[in-house]
Amino acid sequence: MRDLKHLIECEQLLEEADNELVRKEQAEGGLAIGYTCYHMPEVLLNVDRCFSVRLRAPRTGSIDIATYYMSNYTCEFARSLLERAIEGGYQFLDGLAAVDACSAMNRCSEHFEVLKVNSKPGFFVTHMDVPYKVEEYTIDAMVTQTRKRVLDVLAEKYGVDTSDEALRKAVEEHNEVCRIMTEIGELRKQENPPITGYEFHVLSLVSYCCPKRQILPILRETLEEIRTREPDPKPWYRARVVVIGSEIDDLDFTRLLEEAGAFVVADRYCYGTIPGREEIKLEPGKDVLRQICEHYMRTSECPRYMADDKVEQRRQTTDRLAREYKADGIVYEQMKYCDFWGFERPLASHILSEEYGWPVLSIDRTYQVRGSGQLRTRFQAFVEALEIKQIHREEDKG
Amino acid sequence: MKYPNPKVFRFKDHMDLKMQLDNIKEIAEITGDILKEKDWKDEFGKAGKDAAGFFKRVKMEAGLLKDMSPEEFKDFLINGEKQLGKLYANGHMATVRREWRGVKDTGVDFYEWCRMWAMLLTTFGKDLVPSLNGALNYRWMISYFCCHSFMDKNTLGLRGRALKMHHELIYAIFRFVAENLVLLMKGDEKGGNSVDLSKKVVLLDEMTMAQIMAGFPDLVGIPYQLMPVFLLSEIDQLACMPYIDAIESYGLPSDTCPVPTSECGACVIDALPHLGSCFISSSMPCDGSVMASSYTTRRFKDLPTYHLAFPVRYEDESVMKEAVEDIKGCIKFIEEQTGAKWNWDAYFAAMRRFNTETRYELQKWEVNQTPHPQLIGPCYELFRKWNYEMDGGLDPRIMKSFRKVDKLMMKAYEAGDEPWRGKMRHRAIVWSVPAHYYANFSNWLANCWGINVLVEMESLNYTRPLETEDKEEALKDMARLYERMVMRRHTNGGYDHVLTELWRQVEIWKPEIVIMYQHVSCKNMATLNGLFEDQAREHGVRLIWIEHDLMDPRTVSRKDMRSKVNEYMRTVMREEPLDPSLVDFEDDASW
Repeated sequence: MRDLKHLIECEQLLEEADNELVRKEQAEGGLAIGYTCYHMPEVLLNVDRCFSVRLRAPRTGSIDIATYYMSNYTCEFARSLLERAIEGGYQFLDGLAAVDACSAMNRCSEHFEVLKVNSKPGFFVTHMDVPYKVEEYTIDAMVTQTRKRVLDVLAEKYGVDTSDEALRKAVEEHNEVCRIMTEIGELRKQENPPITGYEFHVLSLVSYCCPKRQILPILRETLEEIRTREPDPKPWYRARVVVIGSEIDDLDFTRLLEEAGAFVVADRYCYGTIPGREEIKLEPGKDVLRQICEHYMRTSECPRYMADDKVEQRRQTTDRLAREYKADGIVYEQMKYCDFWGFERPLASHILSEEYGWPVLSIDRTYQVRGSGQLRTRFQAFVEALEIKQIHREEDKG
Repeated sequence: MKYPNPKVFRFKDHMDLKMQLDNIKEIAEITGDILKEKDWKDEFGKAGKDAAGFFKRVKMEAGLLKDMSPEEFKDFLINGEKQLGKLYANGHMATVRREWRGVKDTGVDFYEWCRMWAMLLTTFGKDLVPSLNGALNYRWMISYFCCHSFMDKNTLGLRGRALKMHHELIYAIFRFVAENLVLLMKGDEKGGNSVDLSKKVVLLDEMTMAQIMAGFPDLVGIPYQLMPVFLLSEIDQLACMPYIDAIESYGLPSDTCPVPTSECGACVIDALPHLGSCFISSSMPCDGSVMASSYTTRRFKDLPTYHLAFPVRYEDESVMKEAVEDIKGCIKFIEEQTGAKWNWDAYFAAMRRFNTETRYELQKWEVNQTPHPQLIGPCYELFRKWNYEMDGGLDPRIMKSFRKVDKLMMKAYEAGDEPWRGKMRHRAIVWSVPAHYYANFSNWLANCWGINVLVEMESLNYTRPLETEDKEEALKDMARLYERMVMRRHTNGGYDHVLTELWRQVEIWKPEIVIMYQHVSCKNMATLNGLFEDQAREHGVRLIWIEHDLMDPRTVSRKDMRSKVNEYMRTVMREEPLDPSLVDFEDDASW
C-alpha cells in the first residue's frame, strides 16, 4: 500500500506532548487542559476555547525521580507522566483535569500540585470523584462532579463559556472526529483492509493528543485518502487480533505485534477508540451535561466499574468485537502494577478462553515495550499458535 | 434481645452425612499416606534432639536462677523474667513455654488463659459437630487452635493493670471470633448445612463495616472473609501462603495487595464456606478490593450480591447524596433477599452504644497523649479496629469491656503506672498499614527497645457522634462513617488525609519516632513515599521505614522487619536494647 500522506506528520506530532498543533492552538488563544482517563469526559475539555490534551510521555528515559516519589512498585505510566512533569514537559498546560479513579494516577496528579510542576499563572489541578456503578443516582453524582469540578473551574479560572450551547458545539466537533475515526476503524473488518493497525493507532492517538480544531482537517483528508486507497493484492498479516486492556499510548506496542504478523483489528484499551470514538447522541429537551455523563459511563469498559452488569458487559464486548472484526484471537494486556487490570486480566482471559472459546494471550508489560525481546517472542508464539489453529480448522473442514 | 440471638445457634442442622464420611475417608487416606511416607528414624531423631534441647534449656534456666542474688530472685518472683527472647526456639511454631510474669501476674494470666478456654469450649459447645466438620474441611480452621498463642504473644512483657486490660480486650475479640466461627460452620453446606440459619445470614465483604446490620436485629451479619483470611493471617503468619500461591498460579500478578489476593486465592482453592442469603461486596478500601468482588461473585454464582461503593473524594459533601442512595439501595437489597425489615429503633439503640464506645476510645487517646500513656500495645490496636469495623456497637456486652478497661486505665493513670514497666524510652506512633503477620510488632518494639506506640494510623478514624434521632441525618452519618473506614479514611480522598494528616497527628501525640510501615504492595501509600521523606525532613520528624508484605512473610520476614529497627536504634539513635535477647532470634516458622 502507498504510505498515508500525513502519517509521518502525525508520528511527529506524537513525539512531544507539547506538539506543533498544541502550540498553534495556544497561540490562537486556546487553553490546553490535560487529562489521562476515560472517566474524564473528553468533550467537556473542548468547550469554548479549551482543548483537551490526553497526556503521554513519549520517548521516556529514566524515571528515577518519579520512582523516588512514587516507589518502584507502581504504574510506570503514572511515574513516566510525573517524571515528564518534573522535567517541565507539561509546562504548556493551563490545567489538569484529574479523576480519582485509580490510586497511581490520582497520586500522580496530586504530585503535580504538591511539587508545583507548572508555574503558569492560572494553572490548576482539579480532582473529580467517579462512581463505581451506573445507576440513576450515580449518573446524578457524575453530573454534579463534572459541573463542580470541571466546568465551574474552567469558568472561574478562565471565564470559559460552559453553557449548554457551548457544550453542544463541543459535542458536534467531537462527533465529527468520532465519525471519521469510526469509519476508518470499521475498515479493519475487511479481509484485506486498506489500513494497518499501526496506522490506525497513530491516527487514534493524534485525535486524543492534538486540538480537535487543528487535527480535523488532517483526519478528514486522511479518511478521503483511505477510502480510495488500494490495499496490497494479498493481506499482509498472518492472524487478526483484538487487543483488550489498560493504557497503551506506545506505538511500539502495535508495531511489535504487527511485526510478528498480528493485525490489530480492534483497539479496546485505554487511549484506543473502543470506547472513545462513539458519537454522543444528544436528544433535544434533555439535560446536555447529563446525557454526556451518561454516555461516558455507559460506554466505559473500565474494570473499575465493579457491578455485575458492567463486569458482564466487558466480557460480552470483547466477544462481540472479536466476532465483528473477525479476529482469530484476543490479546489481554495490562500495564505492570495496574491493580484494576491486574485482577481483570487473569479472570477475563480465563473466561474468554474457557467459556467463549477464544484463543487468548495474556500479558503484562512495561510502559514502553520496544526493547522487550520477551514480548516479541510471546507475540510470535501466539501468532504461530493461531496459524496452527487455522490450519487445523481448514483440515477439519476439508 | 440477647446478643447474639440464642435462636440462631439452635437452628436445625442438615448435615450431609455421606459428604462428611467421604471427607473423613479422604483425610484418613491422606493421613495414612503421610504416616507411611514418614521417615520415622528421622522423626525420632528430631524428637530426641527436642528432648535434649528441653533438658538443656531447663538446666540453663535453673542455672540462671541459681546464679541470682537474693534481690534479683525476689525481683524475679515479684516482677517476672526479663529476657523474653529465651521463649523462642528456632524452627518451632510455639514458644518454648509461657512467660513468667511474677507470682501475681502469672496468676492473672493463668486465670485469663482458663477464662479464654472456658469461653471457647462453651461457645463451640453450642453446636460442636458442624465446627468439627469445618475443621476437617478447611485447613484454616486448624489455625484457630493457636488462638491462645496469639493471646500470649500480644501480652508478652505486660504486667499489672496493663495485663488485665489487654486480656479483657482480646477476650472480647475472640468471643466474637468463636461465635462467628460456629455460625459459619453451622450454616456452611460442608458443615452443618443449616438452611434456616443460612437464610438469616448476610455476608459482608471483610472490610465492610457492620453498622448497617444494626438495623436488622433478626439477621446475622458475618464478615465473610474475616475468619478464613483476614484475622487468620494475624493469628498464623503462614496461613495465607496457599491462597497467594493459588491465585498467582492462576495468573494474578504478584504485586497486588495480599488482602484481595488472598481473598481471590481462597475462592480458587475453595476455602470459603458456602452459606448466606446474600453478599454485600464493597469497593473499600482500595482498587484491589474493588476487583476482588468479581472473583467472589464468580465463585458463588447463586449468592445475590450488592456492591456497596462509596464516593472516594469523601470530604466533598456534594457526593453525599450518592452515598446515601447507595446505603438505601443496600438496605432495600437486604430486605428483598431476606424478607427482613429495617428497624430504626434497633439501629439507633446500637449507634447510641457505638457513640458511647467512641467516647471511651477518645478517653484512651486523651490519656495516651499525656506524658503518662496507659493502654498501649497490640490488643489496644486490634480492639479499636475490630470494634470500629466488626462490632460497631451491635454487641451490648462490649460496653462492659469498655467500662472495665476504662476503670483500670484511669486507676493506672492516677497511680502513675507504666504500661511496660521500666520500658518507657520513646514515644512513637505508627503510620501506614501494619503487617498482619506481625500483629504484635508494637509489643516487640516496647520490650526490646522501649519504643512505645501510642496509637496507630488505622485507629484514627471517624469519631464524631453518629445521629441517633433524625433518619435522614442518620443515613448521612452512616455514609460518613463508612467512607472513613479503617485504611480508607487515610488512603482515599486525597493526600491530605494521610500525608498532611501525619504532621497534624505528630503535633497532637508528640512522638519522638514515627514507625513508618511500607507495605510493598500498597499503591495508595507507596505513591507517597518521596513526599513523606521530603516533608519529614522539613518537620524534623524521625521516620523508621519498615517494609513488609502484609500477609506474606516470604517477601519480608519478621526478622527483617526487626532488623530495620535494630539498625536504626543502634546507628542513628546510638542506643542499646532493653532486652538484648530480643534483638536477634528466629521466628520464621512460628505462628
